[in-house]
Amino acid sequence: VIGVSAAGPRGVMRGDSAAQLTVSGSAELAAAADERAAWIALASIPGVGPAGFAALLRHFGSASRAAQAEPTSVVDLLPRADVDTVPALRALTRVGVAAVARRLVECAQHVGGEVLTALDDAYPPSLARLEHRPPVLYLLGAASALSRPSVAVVGTRRPSGYGRAIATEIADELARAGIAIVSGLALGIDGAAHVATLDAGGVTVAVLPSPIDRIYPPRHRGLAARIVAEGGALVSEAPPGRLTGKPDFARRNRIISGLADAVVVVEAPDHSGALLTASSALAQGRDLYAVPGPIDGITSRGCNRLIADHQAELVTSAVSLVQRLGRRPAGRSTAVATLSETEALVLGALLKRSGSIEELLGRLDLTTASLASALTLLEARGLVISYGGVTFHPTLAAKQIGMPKA
Amino acid sequence: VLSEMLSATVLGVDGVPVRVEADVAFGLPSLTIVGLAGSAVQEARERVRSALRNCGFEVPARRITVNLAPADLPKEGTGYDLAIAVAILGASGQLGSAPVRSCAMVGELALDGSLRPVPGMLALAAAVRVAGVNEVVVPATSTREAATVRGITVVGAASLGDAVAHLVGLRPLPSALPTPLPEWIPPVGTPDLADVIGQPVARRALEIAVAGRHSLALTGPPGIGKTLILRCGEGLLPPLEEDEAVEVSRIHSVAGLVDRRNPVIRQRPFRAPHHTVSTQGLVGGGTRVRPGEASLAHRGVLMLDEMLQFRADALDALRQPLESGVVTIARVDGALTLPARFTLLAAFNPCPCGWRGARGRECRCEDAAARRYLGKLSGPLRDRIDIWVTMDEPEPFGPGARGGESSTAVAQRVAGAWRGQRERQGVANGELTGQVDDNAGLTRRMQATLAQRARRFGLSPRRIHRASRVARTIADLEGSRTISQLHVDEALAYRPEPRT
Repeated sequence: VIGVSAAGPRGVMRGDSAAQLTVSGSAELAAAADERAAWIALASIPGVGPAGFAALLRHFGSASRAAQAEPTSVVDLLPRADVDTVPALRALTRVGVAAVARRLVECAQHVGGEVLTALDDAYPPSLARLEHRPPVLYLLGAASALSRPSVAVVGTRRPSGYGRAIATEIADELARAGIAIVSGLALGIDGAAHVATLDAGGVTVAVLPSPIDRIYPPRHRGLAARIVAEGGALVSEAPPGRLTGKPDFARRNRIISGLADAVVVVEAPDHSGALLTASSALAQGRDLYAVPGPIDGITSRGCNRLIADHQAELVTSAVSLVQRLGRRPAGRSTAVATLSETEALVLGALLKRSGSIEELLGRLDLTTASLASALTLLEARGLVISYGGVTFHPTLAAKQIGMPKA
Repeated sequence: VLSEMLSATVLGVDGVPVRVEADVAFGLPSLTIVGLAGSAVQEARERVRSALRNCGFEVPARRITVNLAPADLPKEGTGYDLAIAVAILGASGQLGSAPVRSCAMVGELALDGSLRPVPGMLALAAAVRVAGVNEVVVPATSTREAATVRGITVVGAASLGDAVAHLVGLRPLPSALPTPLPEWIPPVGTPDLADVIGQPVARRALEIAVAGRHSLALTGPPGIGKTLILRCGEGLLPPLEEDEAVEVSRIHSVAGLVDRRNPVIRQRPFRAPHHTVSTQGLVGGGTRVRPGEASLAHRGVLMLDEMLQFRADALDALRQPLESGVVTIARVDGALTLPARFTLLAAFNPCPCGWRGARGRECRCEDAAARRYLGKLSGPLRDRIDIWVTMDEPEPFGPGARGGESSTAVAQRVAGAWRGQRERQGVANGELTGQVDDNAGLTRRMQATLAQRARRFGLSPRRIHRASRVARTIADLEGSRTISQLHVDEALAYRPEPRT
């Protein structure tokens, strides 16, 4: 008996080379279960990437046969085979496919997760159609989160306050319009998007570069737990226990774009990983949006280039993005805030344009002391936020109050 | 025959009376010094021998034993020379039979018998007073230094001969006039705030920090004026009060840093050690304990530019003085406490390359490296810094273009705020402990506001107390008796960034 996931193996196979089978007897059911185990085991072999896995299926007809084949003949078909591949394949023949698969499923279950193969019904349809779909996914949380209408919100790990504020606003607006937000759990924009979605009561999916039993980055362990607890999911193609390397980050980006119907790049400098997500989005035929940034800075250079090259559509506001995606933006309950004259003046100036204390002093006729105290009060009321202590931004709550009449 | 003379030594920054006993007995001619005498004291034998001979005295060809009591206190330095010489003279009967004056003697002997100054004369003279003797004979060049101490007669002697003549009443020397508290002359050559481009928040933070003696940390990319602003702090310091001046002068005298003709320091210390300083150099220590930079900055400013470049253990050693105003140095023979109540003015880059979070330039540090870098600033140390300001490059058309206030104008407000604090509570707001309360003008309502804001910003109780003291200083700068909500809110604007 293999560890059966919540989805469980059903009779229908969706493999490229596998013919459509209908359940007609227990022998076929057992064969399907064996094949599923072979998928899980084979996909966990180092050096067998999604492309290699597809090549093996094409050549051998099924994963079970590939797993039994002579390792050296298997390695020849793998474009990314490395020194660990042959020993791992030999170990697989020695230990047996079923035992290896069972161990992997148990490891996933140990942290509360499950295994999805492309053979399973619960495997997200958006990924199933991809050229380099992950043959096996490890999932922690609700599988249903993967099949919802979703948008990926991605960006740099070192955002400016502007990027953080915009990521928060976009994720909030999308989430309240009922769209799930997919991102990579990274520090910076990814984290801001996940948090904003959860704060808005939405569902969010994090695609990890690491296995689900080793959350990366460790600083987002708490956030990961919250995502799962609040109806979202963590997804990874890395088998439990695998160490995470640089290529894993690039590889997971195709899953982020693949899971989503559209991808929004919020802030990305040159060479940002978010640009890899953008190019895989284009390759997969997903709609690509980019948030423009100031052209004299470096933090948005990648985004601006995507727009300039007509690869991404320019995002003018979070609301317009929701409309472009064919959704109706959810309204906001308007709150009333009582502000002193100075506070209204400061908030009004910030709603026109975010700025530092020094910059605001140039725009407003105030002393440093009174401006500093007004900003603290506005921050305490949740109307203003400063990321990094220099530049102050109006929050979502401030935007819904609108421009105070000063 | 036995004879005794009082002298003194410096332990930390305090003087300790030392009794010098000499015994001349029959036996092989020798001169032995006992009582945990260090190498400089052992060499006193040769200096004393030559000085006695060259002044026309005789070194008895007997077995001479000199004991320095208390005998369990390790002794270093050359200040005992004079007392040893006189004690030997007494023991060998060369001072005559009449009773001699009751006095103490401190000074180093030259081979020709002339007297040389020793460091720490202020502390030494004070120790003599503690021992119940009311006259001290010191080297003539140290007279003004010793005469700073009130309640004791100071006599300056140029040589061993003069000192002995005075002692036996042959040729009494005049007692020195008490050294007056000198006029304060504002320091020259310090940078002026008028030269700082932009950075209104950092300027304001410096003003508050200096006025209330709160520790300040500036962070931001290189080249934006962090160092310049901190250096401007020196020109904002009010002069030392009389009691403080004596205290500070004594520490500097022990370190040998005072001008012997003008031994009383009026200018508040402003110490800016280089980041390569050792832990001992920063907080004091060594086999013969010397005050470190932290003690030399007592009642003044300790400026740590590029704070995160300092050795981690050196930084950590600052925790105790920041909290309690003293440094405790553990030694083989017990712990020694040195005063070190300074205002910390610190600056550091946000990451090793310096550009993290800055506009216009990209930070090229590994995340882990940047975290390690900031990790050097330990939690307890962060907690002890009252005012935090993150700086960025000045706005090209910001208020800096209009030109800022000069240091003179700011120093006036600082002096006013300091007078207010001294009248109300005797010490600076930054030196208070606990939370500022009703009596200091923080009403119940404002306490509630502060607590509510603290919850919102996730501040620790310690941080709340610190904010209340900063708010008190902001009110003092305005000359306000009560602390308003504006003061509280401004104080909270200088809270540290949450660590992400």
